[in-house]
This record gives sequence, structure tokens and C-alpha cells, in this order.
Amino acid sequence: MNASEPALRVRGLRKRYGDVAVLHGVDLELPAEAVFGLVGLNGSGKTTTIECTLGLQGFQEGEVSVLGRGPAELFRLQGDVVAIFDSPSVPPHLTVRQCLEHARLLSPRPRRACAEVERLLGIENYTRYRIRQLSLGNRRRVSIAQALLGEPRLILLDEPFNGLDAGGVDQVLDLIAELNRETGASFLLSSHQLPYLERVCSHVAVLHEGRIAASGGLRDLLADSGSRIVLHSTQSGLAMQLLENDSRVTDLERLSSTHLKMRLREWNSEQLVSFLVEHKVPVCELIRQRASLDNFFRELTAGGDS
Amino acid sequence: MSNLLAALRLELFLSRYSLAAKIVLLAPALVCLARFLLVWLNQAGQQARAGLIGADSFELAQAQNAYGHFVDGMNTGLTILALFLVALAAYDFSSERDTGTIRHVLIRRAGRSSIVLAKLLQLHILGLLSLVLLGLAAWAGSAFFWDFGPVVEDGFELIGEDEILYEIHLGLLMAVIPLPAVIAFGMLVSVAAQSATQAVTLALGATLAMDIFKALLGERAWYLYATFHPSLLDQSYLREVSRLVRGFSDVLVEDRFFVFNEWAPAVSLLIFALAALFVAQRRSL
Repeated sequence: MNASEPALRVRGLRKRYGDVAVLHGVDLELPAEAVFGLVGLNGSGKTTTIECTLGLQGFQEGEVSVLGRGPAELFRLQGDVVAIFDSPSVPPHLTVRQCLEHARLLSPRPRRACAEVERLLGIENYTRYRIRQLSLGNRRRVSIAQALLGEPRLILLDEPFNGLDAGGVDQVLDLIAELNRETGASFLLSSHQLPYLERVCSHVAVLHEGRIAASGGLRDLLADSGSRIVLHSTQSGLAMQLLENDSRVTDLERLSSTHLKMRLREWNSEQLVSFLVEHKVPVCELIRQRASLDNFFRELTAGGDS
Repeated sequence: MSNLLAALRLELFLSRYSLAAKIVLLAPALVCLARFLLVWLNQAGQQARAGLIGADSFELAQAQNAYGHFVDGMNTGLTILALFLVALAAYDFSSERDTGTIRHVLIRRAGRSSIVLAKLLQLHILGLLSLVLLGLAAWAGSAFFWDFGPVVEDGFELIGEDEILYEIHLGLLMAVIPLPAVIAFGMLVSVAAQSATQAVTLALGATLAMDIFKALLGERAWYLYATFHPSLLDQSYLREVSRLVRGFSDVLVEDRFFVFNEWAPAVSLLIFALAALFVAQRRSL
């Protein structure tokens, strides 16, 4: 596999549990050296997609290629692919150090010493603690530490921020950015924590009802979605009449009797205010909603249970 | 092959720190020694009583022969070892699936078949070590409390030591041969079950149920199932040896049953192991 090839490619992935179809032909392409966020509502199929990709579950149709290999032969990549699952998958009867020594046996080419990753993840004071004695957050740190012992080329993380405190989240986000920058490792992060993903991801895919609803570079997606303006006015009816046929305003919608929401094209907020004042529409407040992954995601999945 | 060895190294690493593995290793030998102590104390009491009332008998004399106690100790230890092995085998794969640790091995180091084979090998190594410890403990313990010697009545040697050792060898062989099949049965349940609790309960329940089923058949089981089938735990031949080395029995199994008993467990092992590999290949992890 050369550097220009995607680290992960999924084509037409279909998966059913009995009669219930979970994935309806998922297509994903994770570019090499990218940090890729996979987002979706509960039950949208994120974990199933990851588990099918890793060969942990079978699927009915589709093609999966991970660093050029099929899901059933990832072990032949000898530690180039590692995964961190939503529940910390660490042997509960081992101490933290024993757990890391065990993980070193999983890595044919260990790159870091156990003590080094313990320091990196801030668990150096827990080395003699058994895993079952640790909090969920610290178990999560241990499972991340296990993945960092080798030199993986692709790291898949399913809900990596669950159970972590704010400091822990920062630590993990910094580590992901640093590893991506220094080693060129690719990441696939599946999470509900959209602001965290926005901080670190270069690419995003939105999985909705078993299909990819949007996919691409994060900046491109957010640029396309554009920022929103919320207008607060006591004469919102009049404002609505003025703006609804104006080509410089799109996606106009009434939020309440006093609030309108819209997107501006070839116009800025000052020009909008001048226009409204000219037409005797009082402007109480104008709020600019920044284009965010959270807003983008809510728009795409509107009507869901997020 | 290198994947299998890597998976085996991981299994042995986990065994080093596993309380369950330590129990399987030591419990049969410790229970055997505890049995010797209790029997010796009981015999000391009986001897004191016999001395007081002036009674003496062939039974009391034979109770001092260490061979019988050695066989009884091995019988107890092997029953415990088989039960622990089936429980540990059932727990092994299923508990790692419950915690999710098996996923890391599968993604990073070894395929499904290698993982199952490595677990089977690790359990066999553990079983073998436990068996050696049990044998040493039984031999040393019985020699400590009693004396090895031929079966003698009124100064006449009824059964010589060579014959006793030959029968003990056969009895132990019959009792030990099914152990690999016991391990493979536990592994099959382990890969098929939904959780570790379910796996252990099912494996122990099924093993005991087969034993009870065989007991219900009574003498007919002897002919129908050649002593141990369908039970995987049966040590009835070893119990006969225990009576024989004390001079109470000369009824032994026909050669055709020996042949059957030597081969049937190998077939069971093969069926259970292949079924475990088949199920492991297809189930979600």
C-alpha cells in the first residue's frame, strides 16, 4: 500500500441482524494520514461499521479494505492497525503495568516503553493498581496507552472520550494531533462529542439511519453549510415578508413569533441591519451562529433523537 | 505457525497472573493431600479402637498399604482436575469476549483459529502441570503416611507389586485419556455461549448431567458406553483398581473395552475441537 492509497476503504457495506437492516450500503474512504470523524445518532450504525471493518462481525454485502487487507486478516499487518473500543477492553485481573506488558506482546515492533506511555497518559501513579480498581476514565487511559506502545498506521477509536474528564479529553486530543503530525498515523474516531471531533478531525462522515448522509473534509463541509443569522425583532412578520423573496437570503425560517433564522449570500450582517432599518423593521438583536459540526450534524439529522 | 506461537505466549502471560489458573494448578494436589491427612487420622482412630477391643482384620492390614491410598488420592484429584479444567476452558474464551480483550489479539496478532488453538494448548499445558503436581503429591503423601508393598494375607502374597503397578498404570491411563476431550468440550461451550457465566454453568451442568445419565444406566453403561461414555469424567476403572490393589477385586475390563476407551476420547477431542474452531470462525466477537 502506498501513501496515496486510503488507509481505509468501505464500499456498499450492508449488514442485517436477522430481519433488521442496520447498514444500507455504507461507503467510506479514510485518506492516509487523516483524522477522520464518524458521527451519527444512537443506533445509526457507527459501532457496527467499525466492528465489520475490523472483522469482529460478519456482513452480508460490501467490500472492506484496511491498509490493503481484508477484515479477516488484519492480524497479518502485525500491529499496524489498533482499535480502542467504547468499553475499555483490558483484562480486569491484571495491574496497569502487567496490562501494558501484555499489550507489548501484541506489538511485534514496540516503539515505546511501558513507563513512557504511562507518563504520556498520566497513569504513572497507578501502575500497581489492578484494572478493576480503576475508574472508567483511568481504564480508558490504559486502553489508549496500550494502543500507543507500538507504531500503528491506523488507529480506530470508538467513543474514546467516554468517562474522561476535561483534562483527559485534552490529553487525548493532543496525543491524536501529535501522533498524526509526527508519525503520519491515520485515525478513525467515532463519537457523539462533536465539539471534540471538530477540534481534531480533518475529515468527517455523518452516518444517518445506516447510510452516509455527508462525507468529506471538515472545512469544506462547514463552508458549504455556511454560518447562520438569528434575527430578533418585534416586527418579524414584516421582516419575513421583506426577506422571503430576496435572493441574498436563503434557508429562511421562523423560529418563533419574534425570531427568524436565515443564511446570507453575498451580503453581511451590517448590510442586513441597514436594509431592515430602512424598511422600518426594528432590530432588537442579531446573533451570528458560527458554522459548527454540531449545527451541521443537527441539520442533517433533523427529526432524529439527538 | 508464528501467529499460533504469539497467541500462545499471550495466553501463557495471562495464565501467569490468573487466580483461576493457579487454582487449577494447585487445587487437585492440595485436595489429594488433605484427603490423605483425613484418612490417616480416621485410620489412627480405628486402629486405637481395634487395639482396645483386641480386633484385627485383613481390612485393617490392607488399609496400611500406600498403593490403595495413592489410587484413591489420584482418583479424587483427577475428578477435581477434570471439573476445574472444563470450567476454566468454558470461562477462558467467553470471559475474554465479555471484556473485549480477545478483540485486540484478533486485530493485532492472531487469527481466530490460532486463538482457539492457543487456548487449547495453554489449557493442556496447565492440565499436564497440574497432573504432574498431583502425581507427585499423591506419591509423596501416600508414602509419608503409609508403606508401599504387595497385598499379603496370612503371610502369603496375593498380589505382587509388579501387578499392582501395572494395574495402577492402566487405571491412570484410562482416567487421564479423556482429559483433552474434557478441555475441548469446555472450549466448545465457551465459544458458543453468550457470556462467561452462561458458558461455565452450561459446561459444568452438561458434564455433570452426562455423568448422572451414565450412573442412571447402571451396569448397562459398562457395555453400552465402555465405562466412561457418554460421561467425560468417569474414573470407574480407577475405582476398580483401588479395590484390586487392596485385594478386594479381580474383575477387570476386557481388552476390547480398553481399545475402545483409548480411541473414543481422541475422537471426542477431535469433534469438540473442530466444532469449537468452526463456531469461533463464525460468531461475532
